Amino acid sequence: MAHKLDVLGLFDNEYRDDGFRTCSVTGLEVHRSVDNHVKLFGLTAVVALLYGGIFAFTVAMTRWEVIGLLGADAFYTHLSLHAWNLLIFWMVFMEVAILYVGGPMVLGRRLPLTRIAKAGWAVMVGGAVLVNYAIWTTEAPNEAPLLTAYVPMPISPLFYAGACVFILGTVVAALPFFVSMWREKRENPGKTLPLVSFAAFVTSIIAVEALVGGLLAFGPALLWRLELIQWWDAAWYRQMYWIIGHGTQQINLVAMIAVWYFLTHVVAGAEVVSEKVSRTAFILYLFFINLGAAHHLLSDPAVSTGWRIWNTSYAFYGATFASLIHAFAIPAGIEAGRRKRGKGGGLFGWLTSAPWSNPVFSSTIFSIILFGFLGGITGVMMGQLQLNMTWHNTFATVGHFHGTVVLGTTVAFMGLAFFVIRTMFMRQYVSERLASIQPFFYSAAMGVAVLMMMYVGILYGIPRRTSEVVENIPGTEFSLSAASPLFAIFGIFALLAIVGGVLFVLVAVGSLVFGDRVENGDNADLIADGGLGMAQDPDDPVHAYEMRGTFVLCLIFLAAFVITYLLNWYLLTQLWSIGA
Amino acid sequence: MTHSDADATASPFEFLSRVLGQAWRDLLSVYYANTPIWRLLKSVGLLFFGFFCWSASNLVLSYGIDWTILRYIRSYGFVLLLWGPLTHAVVVPLVIRLRRSAESPILRTIARQGSKINLSIFLAIVLILGTFPVGPMTLDFQTTLQGGSGSDVNPDLLCTRSDGEIHCHLSESEGIDHVVVTSGDREVERVDDPPFEFTIREDELEEVVGQQEFVVELQDEDGDTIRRYRRYASSIPNK
Repeated sequence: MAHKLDVLGLFDNEYRDDGFRTCSVTGLEVHRSVDNHVKLFGLTAVVALLYGGIFAFTVAMTRWEVIGLLGADAFYTHLSLHAWNLLIFWMVFMEVAILYVGGPMVLGRRLPLTRIAKAGWAVMVGGAVLVNYAIWTTEAPNEAPLLTAYVPMPISPLFYAGACVFILGTVVAALPFFVSMWREKRENPGKTLPLVSFAAFVTSIIAVEALVGGLLAFGPALLWRLELIQWWDAAWYRQMYWIIGHGTQQINLVAMIAVWYFLTHVVAGAEVVSEKVSRTAFILYLFFINLGAAHHLLSDPAVSTGWRIWNTSYAFYGATFASLIHAFAIPAGIEAGRRKRGKGGGLFGWLTSAPWSNPVFSSTIFSIILFGFLGGITGVMMGQLQLNMTWHNTFATVGHFHGTVVLGTTVAFMGLAFFVIRTMFMRQYVSERLASIQPFFYSAAMGVAVLMMMYVGILYGIPRRTSEVVENIPGTEFSLSAASPLFAIFGIFALLAIVGGVLFVLVAVGSLVFGDRVENGDNADLIADGGLGMAQDPDDPVHAYEMRGTFVLCLIFLAAFVITYLLNWYLLTQLWSIGA
Repeated sequence: MTHSDADATASPFEFLSRVLGQAWRDLLSVYYANTPIWRLLKSVGLLFFGFFCWSASNLVLSYGIDWTILRYIRSYGFVLLLWGPLTHAVVVPLVIRLRRSAESPILRTIARQGSKINLSIFLAIVLILGTFPVGPMTLDFQTTLQGGSGSDVNPDLLCTRSDGEIHCHLSESEGIDHVVVTSGDREVERVDDPPFEFTIREDELEEVVGQQEFVVELQDEDGDTIRRYRRYASSIPNK
């Protein structure tokens, strides 16, 4: 029986008397409470994606100075709205949904404390609206905060209040997940969590670290702006801020990898090559990945060289090592799983015979490839004390986090949204063809746009966060106009990527509103190769199968890594000859 | 690699030749793979690879390392931008189709030798462009200093404080059309003539985050800001 507010029937599935249903694709026992709350947070995330995407257009068309859409003041406001809605609200709402999927759904439990979950959602929405309102209504002497909101920059106290409210709301929304994990372990003390639940749990711990850091940064800043305290230490603020500033991106990363494991298993028939190794990689993340945030302070005073080197070399390589483990484990899992089903065929047959027309699969694979090659390699490089000097605060930095947050996390989350439309909302895509094309179109266009961001930043030294540098740096003889051709390519492909983003929203929302309802058996096409029944021997151990295709792919990845690394070091050696 | 019992007893030479043979067969099977997804992945993969080779070699060349091999890597990458997708989206599928359907002798020859012809043309263009580079292929990443955009305007703003007033002047006036002083969102002073000295009262200044501050903008004749200085009253020395 649908709720009276549920006019489109989006929150209406068929459940047994105990409130559960059996998912025909994953085989999981899904409770009504999990379904509905995943849908609630997922839909809210898509609204934030749509809203932030509008500013992607205005921001990109300003950076492409041939168009030069906005003036300096408006640009900073639009950039702030773009950052908060996409980097924070789209991501975090989706991540709470992922916690509910990775926790109660995978464990076959109901979502506990549903009122708390709803209250968390309401507080998060309140915080998000407040942040948006504060940024929109910025006027002198206040400045738009962008993402960093560094003290002592004059920023509206409403903004800090909104950020604190949103953080508190997120913690509240995560409570039902923690309670369900607690109950699971109390009921099954000797039982290991499934890998996806384990990954979600690690994500949640990293998230709490980040959120506490955020409160420690934004809380005192709010007190200072309200003039309840006279002064606040800028260096302290920056260090605390980056616990959340980069910490949120680490949540994106770990949540994304949890999604990779989940979706490659469900729609590509991946096996886990080694549970122990994959779990160890997640543990490495737990200890080391938030320390990577230190690379934001490499050009700052107030922290010692020893602190910088420890955090951005030794500690950060712990996280890099974990990423490299996943980079092998996930494709190897797909390869072994598909070979087991008789879908091998030569070196790469397992990959090319995969269900590429299924947007859930293609989104996930593009996310893996593009995150690795564009986001991951650059992240490791620029997170290093020495190489950071050539990257810091250039447009290449923007290229890096578009490589991670957009090409990696957003594309993976889009795949998850496609999956949720079919298996939770129970809707067919409004257009199979458009849904199939979208991941290819969006990933390719965004891939080129991201490459151009990196190029103009690292090769020409174009700065970030500024509306006018190529056409005009007033009052100087210094010119960056040589970067114009690459900016033209950036502008065109950024537009194409925005078209790809619009296409996603159209397909997603269109499917929910106009898509045919999925009836029993309609989702059989999502099951990888018709299920394990295809395998000659379903109980064969995973290492009985070859993984040489993955090995070759990893060698190519390693070669790209080494060459890019060498080139960047070479660039660094040339740094001192600038102007010579 | 599959490991059979034969590997255990093979001489190193036999093992190596088997590995190389397998690698060659893998390469051929990838080259001739002709499903839509293979065509797309190969085309886009080569496009990105070409871009990488082209830009990386251009970068190193523009920093003055003039190795011959880099010139050819640059032309290889540049030609690959077009030829990679052309080969795997057009030529390979066409050759495979012709092998099935070609009837005239010329078409049969093309079907048999199509890939060799295509690769020969590709390598010839790479060699020619490597030896005689054309304009669009060469990007210069070294920063250029251009004349004609006016001199570098970067004067010092010097301020002193006395009797509730703040007096400021610039160390140079060249290249500046006018100076605008704002506090909060109000304009408190505008100076249109050199040497752009001005005096403002402290009680005119707005308090921002607990500090009385003002902003001095040097602008050109179009009203574009050339330089911006932010000053706090409390940090200006007394006369």
